This record gives sequence, C-alpha cells and structure tokens, in this order.
Amino acid sequence: MSDPAYLELDRLTRAFAGRPAVHELSIGVAEHEIVTLLGPSGCGKTTTLRMIAGFEQPDSGRVVLEGRDVTGLAPQKRGFGMVFQHYALFPHLNVGKNIAFGLETSGNTKQEIQERIARALDLVRLPGIEDRSVGSLSGGQQQRVALARALAPEPRVLLLDEPLSNLDAALREQTRRELRALVKEIGITTVYVTHDQEEAFDLSDRIAVMRAGRLDQLGLAEDLYHRPATEFVATFLGRAGAVEAVAEGFAEGGSVRCRLSDGVVWQAIPPEGGVAMESGAGLRLLARPEALVFVSPEDDGALRGRVLDRRFAGSVYVYTVKVEDGELEVQAAGDAAREGDVVGVAPRRAPAGIFAFPRRRAESE
Amino acid sequence: MSTAQGGRRKQLSPRGRLLMLAVFVLLIWAVVYPNFVVLAESLSGDGTITLRRYAEFFRTPSELRALWSSIWISAATVLLSALIGVPLAFLFARIEFAGRRVLGALAAMPVLLPPLVGVIAILFLYGESGIATRLVQSALRLDAPPWRLYGGSAILAVHAYSMYVYFYLFTLAGLARLDPAVHEAAASLGAGRVRTLTRVTLPLLTPTLAGASLLTFMTSMGSFSAPYVLGGGFRVMTTQIFSSKLQGETSMAMVETVMLAAVSLLVLWPLARWEGSREYVAPGKGTQAARVPVKSRWAAIGVPLIAGVGVALLLLPHLTLLLISLVPDGSWTTQTLPPRYSLENYAQLFGEARTFRPIVNSLLMASAATFIAVAMALAVGQLVVRWRVRGRGALEAMLALPWALPGTVLAIALATTFSVNQPWAGRFVLVGTAWILVMAYTLRVLPLTGRAALAGFRQLDPSLEEAAASLGAGPWRTLRRVTIPGLLPAIAVGASLAFVTGLGEFVASIVLYTHRTRPISIEILSQLRDFDLGAAAAYGVLLMLIVAAAFTLGQRWIQGGERSAG
Repeated sequence: MSDPAYLELDRLTRAFAGRPAVHELSIGVAEHEIVTLLGPSGCGKTTTLRMIAGFEQPDSGRVVLEGRDVTGLAPQKRGFGMVFQHYALFPHLNVGKNIAFGLETSGNTKQEIQERIARALDLVRLPGIEDRSVGSLSGGQQQRVALARALAPEPRVLLLDEPLSNLDAALREQTRRELRALVKEIGITTVYVTHDQEEAFDLSDRIAVMRAGRLDQLGLAEDLYHRPATEFVATFLGRAGAVEAVAEGFAEGGSVRCRLSDGVVWQAIPPEGGVAMESGAGLRLLARPEALVFVSPEDDGALRGRVLDRRFAGSVYVYTVKVEDGELEVQAAGDAAREGDVVGVAPRRAPAGIFAFPRRRAESE
Repeated sequence: MSTAQGGRRKQLSPRGRLLMLAVFVLLIWAVVYPNFVVLAESLSGDGTITLRRYAEFFRTPSELRALWSSIWISAATVLLSALIGVPLAFLFARIEFAGRRVLGALAAMPVLLPPLVGVIAILFLYGESGIATRLVQSALRLDAPPWRLYGGSAILAVHAYSMYVYFYLFTLAGLARLDPAVHEAAASLGAGRVRTLTRVTLPLLTPTLAGASLLTFMTSMGSFSAPYVLGGGFRVMTTQIFSSKLQGETSMAMVETVMLAAVSLLVLWPLARWEGSREYVAPGKGTQAARVPVKSRWAAIGVPLIAGVGVALLLLPHLTLLLISLVPDGSWTTQTLPPRYSLENYAQLFGEARTFRPIVNSLLMASAATFIAVAMALAVGQLVVRWRVRGRGALEAMLALPWALPGTVLAIALATTFSVNQPWAGRFVLVGTAWILVMAYTLRVLPLTGRAALAGFRQLDPSLEEAAASLGAGPWRTLRRVTIPGLLPAIAVGASLAFVTGLGEFVASIVLYTHRTRPISIEILSQLRDFDLGAAAAYGVLLMLIVAAAFTLGQRWIQGGERSAG
C-alpha cells in the first residue's frame, strides 16, 4: 500500500430507513491504482461508489481526494468520471454529442472538443462513429461509448458500476481485459464495482471484499485467495468445503492444529490478525478442492467419507464428499472415485489451502 | 426494483424544500381551498352552521330527480359505451381484413369533437331539422319528423357516441399489452375460444375495463353540453346547478355543487381502488398476438363492409359539421339538403373583429393554461418521483383531484371563492377577468399534464441525470439538456391533450365568461341562438382541425422521442 492514499474513504457510513447499508467503511486507493469493491448484491458496494461520486451523502465519514475533503461537494464539482451499469447514454444525443457533453463547460473551443471526441473514440477503438445515434449501437459499443464519455473530460478518478454486467459472457471476458489495459495505459485511479469474482481477479490491483456494508478484507487477489481473513471471503472467492473441528494448539510456522472426527488432525492457516484459538475452541475448517487429495480410507490422517457426486470442471473433476461433520470438495482425475464410494481425504500439502476460523455463534450469513 | 428506485431518491435540498413549499401552497390554494369555500358556504346560514339547505334539497322532488338522472345516465352511458367500444376493439385487434388499419384509426374519430361541438354536430344531423331527419322524413313522406332528439335518451345517445372511444382505445391498448402466450396456454389446456375469452382474456382486461368505466362515468357525471343543449326540461345535476346559479339561488347552487362532487367522489373511490388492486403485468416480453384472417369469401367482403358502414356512421357528424359550415346564412330553409355552398362563414370568422375575438381568446387562454399546467406538473413530478419528501402522496392526489370534480363544480367553486376581495383569506376578485378562466382551464387540464409528467419522470432513468452531473453539469444544465429532452415525448402528449381541452372548454366557461373574455364554445352557443348555424359550424370545424393538428403534432413528438431513444 502506498501512502498517503490518493483517494481515501474514511469511516463512511450510510443507512436507508434505519437499515445500515454501509458501516464505518475505510479504504485508501493509491494513485493509478484499480481497486475493486466486490461482494454479493446488497452488500453496500454500489452505495459506496455513489457516495464517492457524490450522488449519496454519507451519514458520517469523509471522502478525501489528495488530502482535500470532498464529502460535501456536489457531483458535478468533483471531476470524477462514472460509467453506469446501464450506461445512461443520453438517448436524444448522438455519440459525439454525448461525449461533448462533459467537454462543453471547461472553455474548450469547438475544434478542441471535436479533437477530444475523436481521441476518446480512438481510445475505446470506435473511431469515426461520432454521428451515430446511441440507439443504433450494440451493447458492447454502448459500453465503450459510455467509457469514452466518462474519460473525455480527463477525470481525476474513474468510477465503474458493474459496467460489464449487461454484456454476454464471451464479450464480458474480452472486454474486461481491454478495460484493464486501457485504464492502466491512461493511469487513471479507478474504483470498480462488481459481484463477479473472476472480473475482480482480472481487473484489479487490489480487491475490497464487502459483506453487509462492512469491509471483510482488502488486498491482492492472491492474498484473498490464499489467506482469507474471514470465512465469507474464503467461500465467496473460490470454492471451499467445510467441516467442524476443534483447536489443538499451534504448530510450527503459525498454523493451527485442528482435530477432526475419528481423531484425525490437520494443520490449517488461521485468519490474519491471530484470532484467539486456544485449545478446545470450536473451529470451522475450510478447504479448497485443489488442496485435498484422495487417499486410502485406512491411511493415517485420512478423513473417511462417502462420495456424493462428481462434477466436470474443465481439465479436472470436483468431487463432493460427505464426511462426519461436514462436506468437503476434492479435485481429482475423472477415474479417482465413483458416486457412493467410501474414500479417504487428506491434505495435499498442509496447511496450504486449508483455513481455520472460529466457529460463529448463531451469526447469520 | 421499487426499492432500488426508492433508494435512489434524492434528499431534499434547501432549494427543493422551497419548491416543495411553493407547489404545496399553490395547489392547496387553487385546487382544494375553493371547494372548501363552497362547502362552508353551503353549510352557513344565519351566522351558524346549518344543514337546513341540505334538508331542503332532499325534500325537493326536482332536485332528487336531477341527482337520480345524473346517476342513471352515467351508469347507462358506461354500459352502452362498453357495448360499442369493446367489441369494436376486439374486431380491429383480432381480425385481419381489408382496410382494417384505416378503419381502425377512423373509429377513434369522435375524440376530435370537443364536447359542445359534438353535440351541435349531432343536432345538425339528427335534430328536428337535421339532415338525417329531413332525409328520412322526405323519403317516407311523413308530415312530422320521424323522431325527436330530446331528453334522457338523446343525452344518452350523444354520450355513447362520444365516450365509447374510451372503451375502444383502452381495450385496444389492453389487448396489445396481453401476452399472447396466455391464450396459447389456455388453448393447450383444452379451452375453446369462448372459454378462453371468458376465463382468461376478459379477467385480464378487468383493470383496463375498470379504468375505462371510471373515466366514462366521471365524464358523464360532469357532462354539461349534451344535457344543456338537448335536455329541455330533463335536468341532470350539472344543468340544475347552472340554472340555480342563473336564477340567483346561489345557496342552493352550492348545495347542489357539493352533492354532485360528493356523489362523484363516492363512486370514484371504490372504482379507483378496484382498478388499482388488479394490476396484471405480463411477465414475458410477448409478441403481438397474430390476427385471425377472415376465412369465408362472404366474410372477406362482409366484415370490411360492415366495419366500413359502421365507421361511416361514426364520421357522419364530422361531415355534417363541415357541410353546414359551408352553408351561407339564411340560404337553407325547407329543402332537405342545403341549396348553396360558399366559404362565406369562414371569411366572416376571420374577417370581423367580433367573431375573431373568441378565437384569439381561446387560443391565448388555452395556451396560458397549458403552460402553467405543464410547469406545475413538472415541478410536482420532480418532487414526487425524484426526491425523498414527505407528502408525496398528497401532492399527487391534489394534481389528480380536479379530474374527479365535474367542471361545473370547479367553476362554481372558483366563482364563489374569487368573487370577494379578502387578501388575508387568499381570496381576490378574479370574476370578470380572463384570469379566472385561465385558472379554471389550468385546473381542468392539470390531471392530464400531471399524469403525463409523472409517467415521464418514472420512465426517465435517474442515472441519466447522474451521468450529466458526473460530467460536470449543474442542476440547470442537467434540467435543460437532459431532463427536459428526456421528458419531451410525455410532455408533448400531456400538453397537446391539455391544449385541446382548454381550447374547446365549455362547461366551466359558461359559468365564468364575460362578453370580453368569451371563448369559442360560448360564441358557438350564441351563434346557435341567433340561428346562424353556418357560423357555429365553422367554429366547430376550426376546433376540430386544431384538435387534429395538436394530436398529430403530439404523436410526432412521441415517435420522434422513441426514434432517438432507439
């Protein structure tokens, strides 16, 4: 993390009709960085983006840009570009006039405006469509025109609200790579909102995982995947099976020894920040499918279970295995087991991909 | 989706708060207050509150007869209009035949006739010395006219003619909204045509039919032109109020006004709730149902022929109006058809200051009312749809209230409230000025512009305005460059409806006009009294043309808006 942050969200809080949408959210975004707000719908990510843009006023907390508090500033005075989920292209203006809209106020001459429209369209690889009506464009083209329109006034921050959610799957994947290349080329500080973890992995420098209005974890994609801070992060990014366990002290390297059913003990990575996990405490153990292997049920350290089903997942298969205190997923070859087989499951290379979290007390997801 | 919208409503800025206050005060003063003045005056007597006059109302047989007439005429109008309009809509929506498009469009033509104009057109056609009457009389060699266009049945006939259009247009729109898949589903479940109609199609159309019934009933309750011109001794509440007022029985006029308003609201309440409680939204995108082509050769000729004759009958009043407008004053006496035709009447209309004045008056007053009503509707639309404010429902209700009150009620309320000078009570002398007419027109058209503006705002994606702000546009630039252009199709529809309503307005005008401020409708009436039928018809044709032009223009705007929106 570079400091001080270029764009800083400082304990942002916002409630709707008494229900908190965003609570004490603090995130620092470095200059030129792309930070993604990732979470399920209703987690407060869009509200957060709208508070950055100025469309929502926080109940408390600040939005700070280059050390200057912009919280009370009207959206039109912030100089932030925004791309909306449904693009919000002005239907009564053609492509050129849509892009010109943000250029007309800053004392540009007609000629300069024309040049900048052309440059913006070049940038999104749609040169020469100034005179087209926006209704005649395809979804992907509309998305790129919306981007060109947001970028043309050279904003200080670019805000993107699920801009790819209306594209079909193939186009979405191609567009997100182009989008990252483009944003990196310009070097604009960007906040991106999505509920799609693959999109977040592809696009972001860092990802902020949000849940119920709070920040669960902020970090590099790899960190979130390999060292999730919460059970939610572990399951929301990538797959993980879960079983109940009991803590049995720490092993060397800081990993936790977890006792499972049948007296089997596995080592697992504790959450960052070292939550108290004294011996005897109830744990939940989460394991990535690729971190587990099939072994003989009689082996030492093998957890016995029965195969429930087998799913084809491209180059490999993922098996769901019912064990005594939960269900695990194991990634293996197609002929490794059949439905109904009794198998043994063991860590491939403990504690990698196996995480221990304190058992939640009746907390709702 | 509704919660997303709710979450996107803006908090009210200080400027918005001021706007809210101004709009609220203005609406209460103009829409609600005059009605309370009427209510208060109907109850006041001997310096206290008294129900004495209401007791008198209920003791007087002629009053009760008028009230009963209003109610049964309205109910019968609903029934008759539905019987004409609904089958007609099914015919044009469901069956494919030669000339369907043209005939289908022509079937809505009665809307081109403002209330009074429609009545006199029918009078010219079927009245005692009407063309059709004379034709039948001479064909059958009768000594007397074969029928008399008079009383309740005449009013009912005129109502059915001018109001079946509501059922026709509503049903057409309702059928277009239905997902054809539900009919296919019914058929696949073994339902025949009749069963599908009675068990699926008609139930799905209930909100539509309820809406049309409501509109027809309210219009009929407030109808004044037909009972006034054709009623003779047959009184309904509106004409009863007018005659009380004319005879100086002001306090009885107040009681009658309150009674009419009360009955109207009493009917409106359950019907509106019934309409609102049965909103069916087609879940699928749906395509237009395929029209059934006529099969037999006889039907291929017969259906267009019957439809054509029917539509021709509907257009006869228009043609009659045109014909009479070409008849020079005094040239047509006992002949079946007028012997001479010229453009004399039109030349007179535009050539003489006395006859041109009403045209100018109507144009100015209708324009002013349209402008004010659009501005108020936009302000309310902005507040109700975009901002998170208390009292949104009240604002919306006030915008719609004049719709529930017959024109006569509004006119009496305004005439009563603004005939005294009590600035501290918000009452000024406006009677006798053009302003009171503008105010009456504004109130009468406010529900039209209001409905259009609210629909426009609800369809306008709020992120368009946010996009403008994120591109550096302040509130005014956003309003001018994004909001207004986005609302234009809706505003155009509302404004053109409002303008033509104001232009042909008769019901409130007859209570509030003076010689100097007389609008076209009043002038038509006075030409009719002077037996200058040609001049009256010429005014009627002029109104008809302006109405047609306004509708066409409004339609253009919609299509233009839709085209650019893609």
